[in-house]
Amino acid sequence: MSIKGTDYYTIDELMAVCMARTIKNGDTIFNGVAVPLPFTAIMLAFKTHAPESIFWSGLLAGLNPDPPFLPPTSGDSVMLHRANPILHLHQIFDLAMRGELDRIFFSGAQIDKYGNLNNTLIGTLDNIKIKLPGGAGSSHIGCFAKNYTIWSIRHDAKVSSKGQRVFTFVESVDFVTTVGRRTSTRNRDELGLMGGGPDCVVTNLCTFDFDPLTDVMRLKTLHPGVTVEEVLENTGFEPVLSDTIVETPPPTKEEIALIREIDPMNTRKVGFSRSALEKRYDF
Amino acid sequence: MGIHSSKDKVCSLSKAVSRIEDGSIIAVGGNLSAREPMAIIREMIRQGKCNMHSIGGAHGVDIDLLCAGGVLRRVQNSYVGFEADFGLAPNYRRMVQQKKVIPKDTDCVAVLMQLRASVYGLPFMPMKLVTGTNILDLHPEYIVMTCPYTGEKLSLLPAVKPDWAIIHAHKSDPKGNIKLHPPYFADLLAIEASQNSIVSVEEIVSEEEMDKIGATVPYYEVTAVVELPFGAHPTSCYPDYTYDRKHLAEYVKLANRGEDVFRKEYLEKYVFGVKSHDEYLELVGGHDALEELTKWNQGTEKWCELLGRNL
Repeated sequence: MSIKGTDYYTIDELMAVCMARTIKNGDTIFNGVAVPLPFTAIMLAFKTHAPESIFWSGLLAGLNPDPPFLPPTSGDSVMLHRANPILHLHQIFDLAMRGELDRIFFSGAQIDKYGNLNNTLIGTLDNIKIKLPGGAGSSHIGCFAKNYTIWSIRHDAKVSSKGQRVFTFVESVDFVTTVGRRTSTRNRDELGLMGGGPDCVVTNLCTFDFDPLTDVMRLKTLHPGVTVEEVLENTGFEPVLSDTIVETPPPTKEEIALIREIDPMNTRKVGFSRSALEKRYDF
Repeated sequence: MGIHSSKDKVCSLSKAVSRIEDGSIIAVGGNLSAREPMAIIREMIRQGKCNMHSIGGAHGVDIDLLCAGGVLRRVQNSYVGFEADFGLAPNYRRMVQQKKVIPKDTDCVAVLMQLRASVYGLPFMPMKLVTGTNILDLHPEYIVMTCPYTGEKLSLLPAVKPDWAIIHAHKSDPKGNIKLHPPYFADLLAIEASQNSIVSVEEIVSEEEMDKIGATVPYYEVTAVVELPFGAHPTSCYPDYTYDRKHLAEYVKLANRGEDVFRKEYLEKYVFGVKSHDEYLELVGGHDALEELTKWNQGTEKWCELLGRNL
């Protein structure tokens, strides 16, 4: 591994490092669809602080793969490279239903203050404005997994054609695909859910955890150069402000070199805006 | 699963597909951009199949094309899209928004349990409680019961028995024994749960050859086999070939330009414009272009080039 040339890092790399750090050594981890950034984070955790983790490579269900690159489609067989054994997909779902899945990564087209995720539709069931692809396994696994990490590369407020600001982080989602820390009326214990739900959020601006009293997202760290005001401007609800908001702990040069080795095709960068990717952060 | 004891399963594409009745529940094999039975799907569209109901996990061009071709009325999949690479599934999205296709969004785990109930010959499967998600609004048939043994709340999901599993695999023998290489996705479950299955294969081999390589699916679970090399194109069929990302990029681009453009420039060309699977293969580049997709195993550099080539 060469760390030459790693005198800076970019937002995708910082996010991958933040996401990797939500994995504990020995965790069981699964991730499925449309997930180049989580794949990067998981492989990074494996090669750094969490070598004893157990990871099934998405819908291919290969155990602990070591792919030479990350593919543009998460069902590609490169994710079986050095995986052994190759299981049946249902074995992973069975494990999740038994309560033995420690962590999974979910994103959302809309994400609300409690971490409820919408990947199903914008609008209402009777009047669907945008049909989104769907939640894959996130609706049910979100009920079963011990915890999940929420990630979003669209922590922003786009201006719509009607001049309205459209947030990814919203007061309430149009459709709950995956249940977060609570619904508007009941928390997970009251709902009777087995898993603990989301416990951390990694975005292109900052990281959140959740306020233990209200279950609302609590701003925890700011990425270099980001202000609290910028986070608030780009968030459609009022997050709880932690007493000790600090700068996001920077990655190490080794972590950045590893990320570039894990993902030489830069699949992880897909979906980020050009301007976001052009910003270089010094160590 | 249905028991299909005939020892002669070899069938032409058109005859096999003609057996699928309109209104069937279908379980399509493969997932996302991998090993989807695309040649069978194109034939279903050519034959004007309609009013069907799909059940399955995370899929892409297969379900999107079935929507565009007017085959599907209900889509009970957990995901239909092109991931971060190409985004939303344009035809599926358009037809749902126009209320021509009814979205019955489900979850990968729910699909597993409902097909499993069918495999087990049971009316339903219990599952740890799922609640708080609006997916349940689309599925009033999922109910909650109190476990008579432990008192805990459980979700019950009714069995779904597809009329047809539609699968693309690597090899079969004339009897219908199937050799499938991993990843299996949910294909074995789909075949076992369904009343009938059509399996297209890269190659039909002799029974002696199948004895040597070992079958993955027993012949009696299979209704018909059709030999269709590159039958998963433009999706992959590893280890034989990787997916045709360039073709998928063109597909999504045309689909994003609207129903009329897609019909004229994609359906009329690649589906209705060809009389046979062989003609389709010629149209997408013929021997040389397809041969290129088999070269993924020449090394990482070549594999990256095939998957990442400039579009």
